[in-house]
Amino acid sequence: MANHATRCDTTRWNRPRLRVARGFVAITTATILVFALGAIIAPSSISHSAIIGMVPFAAVLAIAGLGQMLVVQQGGIDLSVAGGVSLAVVIVTHQPDGDSAKLGAAVAMAIGFAIGAGLINGLLVTRLRLNSIIATLGMNALLYGAVFAVSGGTPRSTTRLLASIAGNTTWGIPNAALFAVAALVIVSVLTGKTVAGRRFEAIGANPAAARAVGLRVRLHRTLAFVWAQLLYCLAGALLAGITHQPTAFQGDSLLLPSVAVVVLAGTSLLGGRGFPVSTVIAAVFLRELQQFVLALGVDTSVQTLVQAIALAVGVALYSVHWSSVRSRLFGPRPSQTGDPRLGLA
Amino acid sequence: MKRRSSITALAVAGLALAGCSSKSSSNGSDVAATHLAGAPDWCGTKKVTLAQLDGFGGNSWRLVTTASGEDEVRKCPSVTSYQYANGNGDTQKSISDIQAFTAKGVDAMVVFADAGQAMLPAIRSAYKAGLVVVPYRVEVGGAAGTDYTQFVGASFVNDCVSWGKWIKTILPGGGNLLFLSGPKGNSQGNDELKGMKTVLDGSYKFINEAPFDVTNWDPALTQTVLTAEIAKNPKIDVIVSDFGPSLVGALPVFQNSGRSIPALATSDGNALGCFWKENHAANPDFKLFTVATGNDNVRLAVDWAVAKATGGKPPSSTTFQAPSFEDSVTGTPHPVECEASLPGDIYLSAQLAKDVQAKVINNK
Repeated sequence: MANHATRCDTTRWNRPRLRVARGFVAITTATILVFALGAIIAPSSISHSAIIGMVPFAAVLAIAGLGQMLVVQQGGIDLSVAGGVSLAVVIVTHQPDGDSAKLGAAVAMAIGFAIGAGLINGLLVTRLRLNSIIATLGMNALLYGAVFAVSGGTPRSTTRLLASIAGNTTWGIPNAALFAVAALVIVSVLTGKTVAGRRFEAIGANPAAARAVGLRVRLHRTLAFVWAQLLYCLAGALLAGITHQPTAFQGDSLLLPSVAVVVLAGTSLLGGRGFPVSTVIAAVFLRELQQFVLALGVDTSVQTLVQAIALAVGVALYSVHWSSVRSRLFGPRPSQTGDPRLGLA
Repeated sequence: MKRRSSITALAVAGLALAGCSSKSSSNGSDVAATHLAGAPDWCGTKKVTLAQLDGFGGNSWRLVTTASGEDEVRKCPSVTSYQYANGNGDTQKSISDIQAFTAKGVDAMVVFADAGQAMLPAIRSAYKAGLVVVPYRVEVGGAAGTDYTQFVGASFVNDCVSWGKWIKTILPGGGNLLFLSGPKGNSQGNDELKGMKTVLDGSYKFINEAPFDVTNWDPALTQTVLTAEIAKNPKIDVIVSDFGPSLVGALPVFQNSGRSIPALATSDGNALGCFWKENHAANPDFKLFTVATGNDNVRLAVDWAVAKATGGKPPSSTTFQAPSFEDSVTGTPHPVECEASLPGDIYLSAQLAKDVQAKVINNK
């Protein structure tokens, strides 16, 4: 893994701009394509009401995806996203029980649980050296235990205050989208523009080297899980507000999409650099694709297939070494000067 | 030594046979008809113990249903002990719950077999062990008298005949209907469509994906699906849904699109009733008709189980017919009801008192 990361870094060192552009350009092109296809084949999928209906759910997915991205940047996968979101949903609906005045305390409680869950995840992975999949799977079960303990599995209807905060629009833009933009700005600035953020990326790219130069690997890795849980908490609170009458298992449907948007955005599952803007665009892409296939009116099985194919194509864009494929198909070109293993040809 | 072992083996076998025979004759088939004075007809005089087994107990509907079952049991003093087990949505646990209660020697059990036919072997073995076993609401296959004592079903077809008749009264010339149900291929949705089609002719067009739009009964997916349908269909006259409360979050999408919420035929829920009261004035087309969500299905199952175990008179029906509950147009049998001070996820159609329901939900 370390070798791979080093090799990727070498590649990045030689072609930094191209690599940044690759993920962003691919997912942006795909998103534009799905909107364009929608305009031609199923115009209702890009109507004002469809977009206004889609954006809040894309925002929730984007926020959960940003949390997942932070963990993926450290070479892990966070399976406790479902439990984290569900617990936030249950706490912010069950504790106030319709009383808007109690919403603040409930949100504080949800944040407390999120920090606790993130810390435990982080400690399990960094101190006990558990695989993140195992650690977060266990944490997910614990979080669902908390869901049942808090609510017996029955969230209440959303308070009016939360419904208006999450469900209303400001200047025609759904509030949930504003929250997503805020989360995006915070994550982008913290990881891309601060010393701590650069260290965070360096640790994800090569933890051994980072440890060797004295970076606090455990602390950064633990904080990745804590930040992730805080973002899941925000996603859960928004979801509770948007759906009015949520279930206790509302986070389940975010588990795979949250990983999908990270991968579609071009973040390597082996860790390293994250692409927050592309992650948010990928969330819009996935949700608009859902609107598109729903607008087509095709059978549910076809809808699932279309989404799966789009995901496979998206992932293939990054994981398949296209220059190698080209050289295999058409043979080595005379002008080739770089090392083909590094993709520099 | 060898002889002593043989005698011991024979004795054990004899005891086992005696145990089997005494139990197998007690699964309701040989209990003489009796009636405990002051109790309902279905309550006989034989003292019994009863267990209620739930495949999944983790939502408000199930909590109210469980409490309704316990409430029904209390009407018969011959039931000396009532116990409950929650399968937590885990088929293995649900099976082991049945086996555990069989081993504990309860006399009767009512089973909400969420896992369907996967539960039949466990149900059959409990029945063969001599228990009165009454599965309800979810079909488990098999046959009464062979695999279990009696199956007490719900008539989803009947629910939808009621919806169909109401739709005809508010929309006599036909129109566009949008039917939302749960997961793809669920039998409830198929039965409901069958019921509606017995009443509604070709002038009523279902504009959803055939046979119904898939929502998984998930409010978030319901909202997404409804958003797409609203954008696609400029004219939706009636929405039919078998889980009304999940629509509360989705219906404002109509207002966001500058359209009136259309008429809605569904099952009841306090949150939905309150939503209608708050929004019908601003939405002239928003009429509401509900049937009972069916919490009381368990009562009929309990009546059957207790009757067969105690020697009471079994009910005449084996199918729970969900009664019509609210009609915003005629106010019959009830106008739309809302208890704003109580939780949104109680069911005012249930026999269980509304404050008891609120208590049941809040205690959890």
